[in-house]
Formats: sequence, structure tokens, C-alpha cells
Amino acid sequence: MKRLFLIFTIFSISSSSLIYGNEIQSRTEEILRSHFGKDINITYKKYDLDRDVKSSIENQVEQRFFGDYIYIWQVESNDSLKAIALMDNVYGKTLPITFLVIFRLDGSISSTHIIKYREDHGGAVSSDNWNEQFNGKNRRSSYTVGEDIQGISGATISVRSVTKGIQKLTLLYEEIRQAL
Amino acid sequence: MKHAVIFSTLYFLFITSSIYSQFDFFEPKTKVSGYGELHYNVKQIEGKEISKTLDFHRFVVFLNHSFTEKWSFSAEVELEHNFVQNGQGELSLEQAYLNYHMSQYLGFQAGVILNSVGLINEYHEPPLFLSVERPLYNKYIVPTTWSGNGISAYGMLSGLEYKLNIMEGLNSDNFNLKSGIRDGRQKGFKANAKNPLYNFKLDYFNIPGLKVGASATYNRASGDSTEIPIQLYEFHAQFNNYNIIMNFEYGNIFYSNSELKESRGFYVDLGYNIASFLKWKSKLIPFARYSDINTASTTISGGESEQKYHNKLWIIGISFLPIPSIALKGEYSENTVELNSIKTQYFNLGIGYMF
Repeated sequence: MKRLFLIFTIFSISSSSLIYGNEIQSRTEEILRSHFGKDINITYKKYDLDRDVKSSIENQVEQRFFGDYIYIWQVESNDSLKAIALMDNVYGKTLPITFLVIFRLDGSISSTHIIKYREDHGGAVSSDNWNEQFNGKNRRSSYTVGEDIQGISGATISVRSVTKGIQKLTLLYEEIRQAL
Repeated sequence: MKHAVIFSTLYFLFITSSIYSQFDFFEPKTKVSGYGELHYNVKQIEGKEISKTLDFHRFVVFLNHSFTEKWSFSAEVELEHNFVQNGQGELSLEQAYLNYHMSQYLGFQAGVILNSVGLINEYHEPPLFLSVERPLYNKYIVPTTWSGNGISAYGMLSGLEYKLNIMEGLNSDNFNLKSGIRDGRQKGFKANAKNPLYNFKLDYFNIPGLKVGASATYNRASGDSTEIPIQLYEFHAQFNNYNIIMNFEYGNIFYSNSELKESRGFYVDLGYNIASFLKWKSKLIPFARYSDINTASTTISGGESEQKYHNKLWIIGISFLPIPSIALKGEYSENTVELNSIKTQYFNLGIGYMF
């Protein structure tokens, strides 16, 4: 009985870690390798947001950050930094949308990706075509939905939410670049 | 020694799980949202007295609880026309379903679900359509809100969204020339489950700003005294890009074993956000709509019965959205019934919100 309990505990812990964590990490690494090739070194770390910077960006974009931290992914090749990607979440109608913004070193967006979409409606924000609209934009760009960023019927809330989330990260990029 | 190995294994797994779980952003959450709309309607039928009404048409509360990343529950309760008394007003549970979101490609719902037909039935919050009232097409060809008890499977692949619904059928005893299938909806009330309704929808999203799709619905509708199989085919397109707003829906219902053989209709909207010229953050959208709706476009009797419910409607209006979740609308419209060319004029004002 005791042995059975131990086996069950070990199985539960190992399966839960595989189900939840790996999916986001492996999807992110897959995207970064498809962009920069297989011979890159990928590292990531949690980055705690400075309270004043966070508040200033939130006021500017009119959207709160999902939490007090984001994740920074660094892509290196031959010991030199190739790119920085920032991962954060925004709320859709009810659930978090996990997204990744890959930046060129000059702070312009190389590409954006929805890493995980959890809701039954509005999943079209995951499409590559919609995400391509952000390529080349930076902290000075305009992000008005319907003008600079095209909307998606049936995904109104997700479109607005993800657009603001991406804009927030462009404003945060310079801060992070200096901190690295 | 044996215990040391076991504890080391457990410790290692705990550490591993805590590393991985840092990407587990989900937290169980309950969220309340909703929408509502107040309307001022002026109506004048040719040769008759003018009528004016002020109506809080819809008050809707939406509740969602996410148990886990995959399991959630959603419900929408609607009160129409302020109160329910002596057969007036309506209180209904328009949605109440458990959702299992297996992956982006496949999910399931069970409970009170929405039928996936047209542009408005699943997305009917007032700031999402231009006119004060929902389009006439979405009353008589696709009778919104069309919900009922059932199950569905849905998903998305390469910009293509798909959904299959199997739900309660329609009550064919209530079909009529004036409103087609509209009065046949059972709305989940001890619904007759003799013949389920099958509905399949496809929408394509991969061109930014454009949604284009179609659906097919089949039901061997039955009642106490009739059995009338129906097929509904519809096509829809929506474009919202470069400040241009265009909507188009076309639908056709075929009936068997009935005096009524066919209902048919379409509408087209064209609007432009002129606030973009003024660099406003708000939206100001003048628009025009043309609708052609005939719930009895083909009948066995033919003649006048095919003209009596043939409506041609023009609308010109303006929709102002100070913020994306609030809409103030105004419109003038003229409806002409084919039989005797009877004209009705409308002037409507409305304010709506969603959150």
C-alpha cells in the first residue's frame, strides 16, 4: 500500500510537470530555433518589473501587466547575442493568452507569436498572418486597432488585448536591454 | 538507503516540477461580463398613427469560471424588455455550457449552446453591429439568439475555424409564413429531443480584417401534428480594415412537407470610420444597409402569399463608439412590403455597451 502510494505520488508530480511547463518552453524554443537556426544557445530568466517603469507603461498603454514579472529569452550564437525575446500574458475574455515578442537588437519587432491560447473563442489571433502586422514596429509606432492593426471578427477582445500587450513589451525593451 | 533513494527521487521531481510550473500562468478564476441596450423606436406604417417606444431591450449577464486550463463553465442570462409579467418580456438562459478545451485544434461543449449560423448569433453584443436593432435578416432568416440544449465540437487549424453542433431540434408546429422557423425555437425548455438538429460551420480568418464563412443546418423538425424537415444554408463575410466596415449575409431555408417551401434573404452593410480623418481615438461610422428578406419566398399556393412577407429595407445611420465597448447609434429606415407596396418608416436611437 505504502509502495503504491509512493508510485502514485511520483507519477503525479512527474506528469503534472510534463503537462504544464514543457508545452510553453518547448513551443518557445521551437519558434526561436526556426528563426535563428538549430545551432543557437537559448537561455531564459524571470525578470522582475520595476514598479515605476511598470506603472508608467501601464498608464501609457491603458492595460495592466499580467503580473510583476515577465520572462526574457536570450538567443546567442558563437558567444554573441543575436536577439532578445520577451514573454508575457494578457487576459482574453476570461483566460490568459501567453505570447512572445522577438526583438531585433535595435528594439524593433522581428516577429510575434501566440504561445498558448486557452479560450474557445477568438483563437484567430494565433494566425501568422495577423501576427505579421507587428513586424518592424517599435516603441514609437502606433498600435490603434482598426487602423494600424487590423481587427478580427469574433476575436475583438483578444485582438485589443494582445495588441496592447505587445505594445507594452516594446516600451519595456530598452529598459531590459540596458539591464542585461 | 532505500528511503534515501526514494526521497532523492521525490526531491528531484519537486525541483523539476517547480522549474516547469513557472510557465503555468493559469489561475482558477471567475469572471462576470455582460452587455445591454436601450432603444428609442419611432414607427409609422403608411396611413396609420405613429408609435413611439422606449425600451431597455436587453440586459445580459455573462458568467465564466475556469476550473483548470482545459475545463471551464460559461453561462449567459438575458432579461428582455425590463420585466417578465403576463406573457410580456422574457427571462432566458441563453448559454450554460461546460467547455473542455483539449487543444487549439479540438474542444467540446455540452449544455445550452449557441447554434453556429451567420455573423450575429454567436457575437451579438451591441457595439459589434452597426444598427440600433439587430439586422432584420438576423430575426427572420437566422433567428437570433438561436440557442438550445446540445453538444458541440470545435477547433481551429491554419486560420480555419470549424464547429459542429448537435442540439435540440425545432418545433415544426410553430413554423409560419410570417416568421419562417423563428417561432420553432424551443430555447431549451423541456425540449423535444426526438430529432436532433445538426449544424456545421466553417470560417476563414487568414486575411487580416476579413472573415468569410458558411454553415449548413439540417433538422427533421417535428411537433405534435407536423413533421417538416428543414435545411438552412448560409454564407457570410465581414471586412473591417482601412476604416472600412462591410458585412454581408445570405441565407436560404428549404422546407419539405409544408405549404412553405422556401425562405430567403440577404443584407449588405457599408460603413466608414470618419473619425480617422480627425485623428480621434473614438469611432464615428456613418453607414448604409440594404436588406431583402422574404420568409415565404416560395410557397405551394404561390401568388400573394409569396409577396406578403417580402420586405425590402433601406437604412442610413451613424454609430459612435467613444470607446470600443460603448456604442451610441441613430438611424432612419424605410421598409416596403411587396404586396400593395406598403411602406413603413422608422427612426431609432440606441445606446449599448459590453464589458
